[in-house]
Amino acid sequence: MMQVMPDRALEGVHVIECGIAGAATYAAKLMADLGADVIKIEDPTSGDPARQLGPFPGGQPHPEKSGTYLYYNCNKQGVTLNLRNSKGRELLDRLLAKADVFVHDFPPAEAALLGLDYARIRQLNPRLVMTSISPFGESGPYRDYKAYDLTTLAAGGWLWLNGWPGHAEMPPLRPFGQQSARQAGVHAAVATMGALFARLRSGGGQHIEVSAQECITSIVEFSLALWTYMDTQTARYGQRPIQPLDFFQCKDGGWIFALTVEEHQWQRLVELMEAPEWTQWEVSANRFARASNWDALRPFMEEWVGQWNTDDLYRAAQENRVPFAIASTLSDLVDSPHIKARGFFVELAHPEAGSFKYPGAPYKLSETPWEIRSPAPALGQHNESILGERLGVATGELASLREAGVV
Amino acid sequence: MSGPLDGVRVADFTWVWAGPTCTLQLAHMGAEVIRMESMRRVCTLRMLPPWLGGQPALNRSGYFNQYNQGKRSIQLDISKPEGRELAKRIVAMSDIAAENFAGGVSARLGLGYEDLRKVKQDIVMISMSGYGQTGPDSSFVSYGPAQVPLSGMSALTGYAGWSPMHVGLSYGDPNAGLHAAFAVLSALLYRERTGKGQYIDMSQWESTMAVLGEGIMAYTMNGTQPARNGNRVDHMAPHGVFRCEGEDRWVSIACGSDEEWRSVCQVIGRPTLAEDPRFRSLGDRKANEDELDAIVEEWTLTQEPFEVANRLQSVGIAAFPPLVNREIAEDPHLNARGFFVEKEHPEVGVRKHAGIPWRMSETPCEVWRAAPVMGQDNDYVFGELLGMSSQEIADLVDRQIIN
Repeated sequence: MMQVMPDRALEGVHVIECGIAGAATYAAKLMADLGADVIKIEDPTSGDPARQLGPFPGGQPHPEKSGTYLYYNCNKQGVTLNLRNSKGRELLDRLLAKADVFVHDFPPAEAALLGLDYARIRQLNPRLVMTSISPFGESGPYRDYKAYDLTTLAAGGWLWLNGWPGHAEMPPLRPFGQQSARQAGVHAAVATMGALFARLRSGGGQHIEVSAQECITSIVEFSLALWTYMDTQTARYGQRPIQPLDFFQCKDGGWIFALTVEEHQWQRLVELMEAPEWTQWEVSANRFARASNWDALRPFMEEWVGQWNTDDLYRAAQENRVPFAIASTLSDLVDSPHIKARGFFVELAHPEAGSFKYPGAPYKLSETPWEIRSPAPALGQHNESILGERLGVATGELASLREAGVV
Repeated sequence: MSGPLDGVRVADFTWVWAGPTCTLQLAHMGAEVIRMESMRRVCTLRMLPPWLGGQPALNRSGYFNQYNQGKRSIQLDISKPEGRELAKRIVAMSDIAAENFAGGVSARLGLGYEDLRKVKQDIVMISMSGYGQTGPDSSFVSYGPAQVPLSGMSALTGYAGWSPMHVGLSYGDPNAGLHAAFAVLSALLYRERTGKGQYIDMSQWESTMAVLGEGIMAYTMNGTQPARNGNRVDHMAPHGVFRCEGEDRWVSIACGSDEEWRSVCQVIGRPTLAEDPRFRSLGDRKANEDELDAIVEEWTLTQEPFEVANRLQSVGIAAFPPLVNREIAEDPHLNARGFFVEKEHPEVGVRKHAGIPWRMSETPCEVWRAAPVMGQDNDYVFGELLGMSSQEIADLVDRQIIN
């Protein structure tokens, strides 16, 4: 036990992050928001590519104002190091020697070029948990394939699943955002916590290798099993083994997602619909029959939904414990009384970008709160405090490193 | 069992997909996960396809068997007081308790955090309801597929000019489960350091919004709702899924820089395009993206998806076909890495399942057993762990407490 009770779950855990693909960045964000001390290393000239992604206030690109960067890097300290330079790598080594966790998402070939192999790093710090995230992992024939988010969504089997029934002319479609990176990141964070737990007992660190492709393949619902259990190829136009599980437009133009999973929910929906004839037909008898006959049944439901305003239908369904949801717009989210009551959105001021609401806690821990303590760092904002004060690099040396483009 | 969580026990009240995804991660790392199931309320996933043989059968759902690998299963009717008392005895021997009922349900059952901490003072408990445990809509019912529209993801995803859409999988579930596993392990680390357990209230809705930051910030910064734009993104072009030779065959291509664009031009045999003022810079390519995509598709249309991908990959361009499930199962890369798990299962035999998407050098993780058949571990848990005689167990079966 520690002498002073820490206030945060991961207080005192020192993390070094080299994130260029959104995955290590997200893993480190999860840790930072529960209190870990995260130092983010960025290239001195370009910084994290997320600085270019936007959205930007007023639509004006600026490396300190990218919404993607600002959201995913709260609570971190920012240091710039040119890792293509040996002096830059030496400074990283010195940071790693004092850290508990190192998480990066350089592809394997690039990591090797930068000297980031575990056998060497282990010599610097045998207690370090080093987590390497890459698109395809560190072995196998695709190891060095080039990949962006779209690539691993394709290779993991998600892309194929997304589309509309009856529209084979449209391409398989990406989900919004950078979901391959986020999934690789959260898987990496989970495994890293496991390794820290093991370290409490063994005293030793280890290397964790995470493949984004495998993370996606692990979450594509029953798609893989459909082949390995039933020799059935997945239709990419939506996974609809049961119905209703579909979108409908309401009278006011909003969209409702009509869903019943269990038959008792369907029965309560039938009551809410006042038991129209079609719900009594044999083709409506159970969720699988409804799915098989959905083309014929869908128009009836569409007509009924069209008589409602979105929010009225949502609430009427939920009052009957029928799990409908609205297709929220972003303003619906920010204005939701429920989300407000839970205090989800956090207003945060950033010295250059300004003050905005940010998405907040994905979970609330009773003893050790999730919290935002500081906005995302400006490029190299903490060079002096980290390299100077923590590593003891002299002010003069720091200046010459800066001149040489190392920092 | 082995792995970094060796010796950790989980009292698993979860069901459907979100909760079991959380406890799957713990099982992957060697925790002993005891799923409490009941014939009175069978886990939804056992009753969803794909079933081996095509007919509904309790132990033959590939959906259930994928996400419950390496866990134990007991039958316990927690709607009965005696069932709840037995559940509490399991909690008393556990480090973690997990549930994903609708908000407030576990407390109503007498299995809320205040109840559980009375039997295990330092328990780490997580609830993973759709809407969280507080707020005016906290009792609303939800499932992972509904979280996709609720979170705003549907309104952000879709073809240009088309309506909001689903993303092809019940993303709210696994995303919540992974976030929950992270929170639980962070709390477990804290407990190891301080001796204090705690309660985690996780909302699936909020954990889904957590991975949509770049969309939500567009609204909070500028008051705008980003338009649905198919596979296109602001920062890359070409960036899309292009039609190939054959019926319904496609390849994804993402070109991340002007330099990469020049390589694409070489590969497609049109080097002069690199100097074409319509396409020289990212801004040029974005301004003329319809023309750009038509040129790329003209080239992909005459080739097989893997042929396109291999040619582009040979010059360092991110291209890959969107794999269908059969291609995943047969993927040479995933197979070479030993990713798939094929453990003998009493009713489905040996089937291929997705395995563990990370490798640990010092505390290797492995799936030690296929997903359990219903009640497979009744004797182990009630007999060995709780020390009940076979007579006592038979009596509980008779009275449908073990059910």
